[in-house]
Amino acid sequence: MAEPQPPTIHEGATDDIETTTKPASAEDRKAAAALSNLDSSSAAENDTAQVDKAAATNALNSVSEKKAPVEAPAKSKVKVDAADVALLVDQLELTKARATELLKQHDGDAVKTIKAFLQPAF
Amino acid sequence: MPQILSTKEANLFRQVIRDYEEKRYRAGLKAAEQILKRNPKHGDTMSMKALIMNAQGKTEEAFNLAKEALKVDFKSHICWHVYGILYRTNKNFEEAIKAYKFALKLEPESQQIQRDLAILQVQTRDYEGYVQSRFAMLKARPQLRQNWTALAIAYHLEGNLQEAERILTTYEKSVSAAPARTDFENSEALLYKNSIIAEQGETERALEHLEQECKKCLDRLAVMELRARYLAELGRKEEAATAYRALIDRNPDHPDYYKRLVEVLGLTAEDEAAQKAIFDEYSTKYPRSDAARRLPLDFLTGNEFRSAAKAYLALMFNKGVPSTFANLKHLYFDSYKKDTLPSLAEEYLQELKDSNTQASSDSSKGEGAALFFLAQHYNYYMSRDLSKALEYVEKAIELDPKSVDFQMTKARIFKHQGDIAKAAKAMDQARLLDTKDRYINTKAAKYQLRNNENEKALNTLGLFTRAETVGGPLGDLIDMQAMWFLTEDGEAWQRRGNVALALKRYHTVFNIFDIWQEDQFDFHSFSLRKGQIRAYMDMIRWEDKLREHPFYFRAALDAVNLYLSMYDKPEGANRANGTKGDNANGEDAAEKKKAAKKAKKEAQKAEREAAERAAKQNPNKAQKDKEEDVKKKDDDPNGVKLAETKDPLGDAMKFLEPLLQFSPKNIEGQIAGFEVYIRRKKYVLAAKCLKAAQALDQDYPKVQEQSATMRKMIGDVIESLPPKVQEVLKAELA
Repeated sequence: MAEPQPPTIHEGATDDIETTTKPASAEDRKAAAALSNLDSSSAAENDTAQVDKAAATNALNSVSEKKAPVEAPAKSKVKVDAADVALLVDQLELTKARATELLKQHDGDAVKTIKAFLQPAF
Repeated sequence: MPQILSTKEANLFRQVIRDYEEKRYRAGLKAAEQILKRNPKHGDTMSMKALIMNAQGKTEEAFNLAKEALKVDFKSHICWHVYGILYRTNKNFEEAIKAYKFALKLEPESQQIQRDLAILQVQTRDYEGYVQSRFAMLKARPQLRQNWTALAIAYHLEGNLQEAERILTTYEKSVSAAPARTDFENSEALLYKNSIIAEQGETERALEHLEQECKKCLDRLAVMELRARYLAELGRKEEAATAYRALIDRNPDHPDYYKRLVEVLGLTAEDEAAQKAIFDEYSTKYPRSDAARRLPLDFLTGNEFRSAAKAYLALMFNKGVPSTFANLKHLYFDSYKKDTLPSLAEEYLQELKDSNTQASSDSSKGEGAALFFLAQHYNYYMSRDLSKALEYVEKAIELDPKSVDFQMTKARIFKHQGDIAKAAKAMDQARLLDTKDRYINTKAAKYQLRNNENEKALNTLGLFTRAETVGGPLGDLIDMQAMWFLTEDGEAWQRRGNVALALKRYHTVFNIFDIWQEDQFDFHSFSLRKGQIRAYMDMIRWEDKLREHPFYFRAALDAVNLYLSMYDKPEGANRANGTKGDNANGEDAAEKKKAAKKAKKEAQKAEREAAERAAKQNPNKAQKDKEEDVKKKDDDPNGVKLAETKDPLGDAMKFLEPLLQFSPKNIEGQIAGFEVYIRRKKYVLAAKCLKAAQALDQDYPKVQEQSATMRKMIGDVIESLPPKVQEVLKAELA
């Protein structure tokens, strides 16, 4: 049964929240307080929490299964010349990462890349 | 080893945290120092002290202290967390994320750190990281619905719609008790899920889901609109028509419903009569609906148009609706309609005269309204005849000398005649007819700015700004983000040769957009807590293209052009006048300098006075304000430092990049881009702008000029470029 807490314990309880929620706005603190109330509300809700936990692990498992093979097909195998990257960074004012990406999209061919870059994007 | 605090000091430390959270910075600082006196090497306290100092605006000291704290207590998650917060408040998000991650490694259980990290990840659009963080948060508290929704949002943003839907479904299945009917969060979540299904292109399933699950959703309108849309998309025309009719019954003034209804009924432009019948049905059913009467004017032609327009105009004139012209001017693209409308207005006047009825007591109705319409007609750019416009407006004014609308139109006619000074004066007279009307006040100030009367305009606007704002009317206009004012004011200063203030205004507009971007921060958690996720998704997508806004475009283009003219004439920053750089206006440099100085002095004086006023009003608050205002103080209020730039082209880039990225289809932006890049000798980028401009409008005069410039430039420098660039430019610009 959910007993009302004795008044002596009150101070300590707030302190508990304080120590776990370091620097937060007053509003966040209220939210945190509301959340912890939610936890301790009733037995029925604890039940749903159990169900949810099981569901969460289910969801977790199925997601982690298909996480890996999203990217990295043939494209990353394209060889990119560092001089070409430097050229693009200088001439097109791109970041290094973006320049490399663009070069890869065009088989590492700088001329092709610049040509494609020149075309209006609409 | 970190020092261990005694019980008393541990309590004191909690007090520090509380003081910080409740913004009692001085008390917090005092308590922190008390702890540090005994434990000078207590890292957590040092960090908290740094955090408070940062909040007080002492950024540099705060950083130094936080670094110290990390040195003494490398393994404290508080120290790392604070370090991250410092980076975050100084907008170095990358470093902040690193610090948070480290803090989280030390304290994997901390909800607070995890949440701060997640928010930063979505803010920086690191969706992959956001998914991970949200997953961790869900694992920690799976009983909270918002954690499930948040993970779905994360997947949605990442582009993984199926996973997003699955997460939502998983949660729904795990709930045993049916949610209450008034559960807003549930209602929104259902509709959100529906939108995800629709976004996957599965309209059939979306309709099914909508009809089964969302029947009881609280946003009834959204449900009805979605249902009608799905039915239409699925080609179930009869049902769709019924759905749209239900929507019209709800709101008979929503043009879109009519348009869709006509579409699903399969009526084409030729079926004028059939279309008209639908609108007639509703105009009888809802006599107060404007849409049902006005929309047929869009598609009707010939005599049908004439009689419908006649009836509509008579109704509007009799009522005295001031927006009649504004509601109809889009029809002017049809030359028959453009000619018919004014002749109908004339007819109306003639009939009025013939019937010789008593002039109505309200002169904005009947004759006045018709005259007003005709004045606006001849003032409009597609049907302009300014002497006629003036004639009509004078007649209208004669009828009612106190009408703000009539006076305002007169001022506008003067503007179109090119007499800006006269226009500004006339607009101010209109303002005096109703000094409590904010609209006309704003209009008058704008005309004053067009007439380069910055100070006068500010005084005009000052009648409506909050008196107690520090910095006077200008301070309030900046706080209220009155961008139209900042842009117009900047342009006026630029025309007056005050580069510094012009730049200052443009930069202020730029910063306002930054603020809008930052404002998202609060919503990443707020919207979830409130369950308003559909609106949240809209906001995120809107933020992603924030700077395509015309307000940004205009101020940024002004800034770029101003920087260009500064670059072209470096010797006298104060001589760069106007976007064209060398359209000499009479005043000479010295005089302008003097004017700028004077303006500066006046601004300072106004500021002082405002501060004094504020102090007088609230003597107790003054002291406290002063303390907090240290942070807010602008160290370059008049843009002098901006104008002293050594690298105007570099500064222009800040404005130019978003311009090209978000408004690529605006030819003015591409032209400005070309000018900047060619001066910076970035020929490929210049060519890109040129090609875009050519694609937009081959015949635009400036485009031809620029392509000639480009060819000549390339001819001169091509040998000095890297061979690969040479090859491309030769091929592309041949």
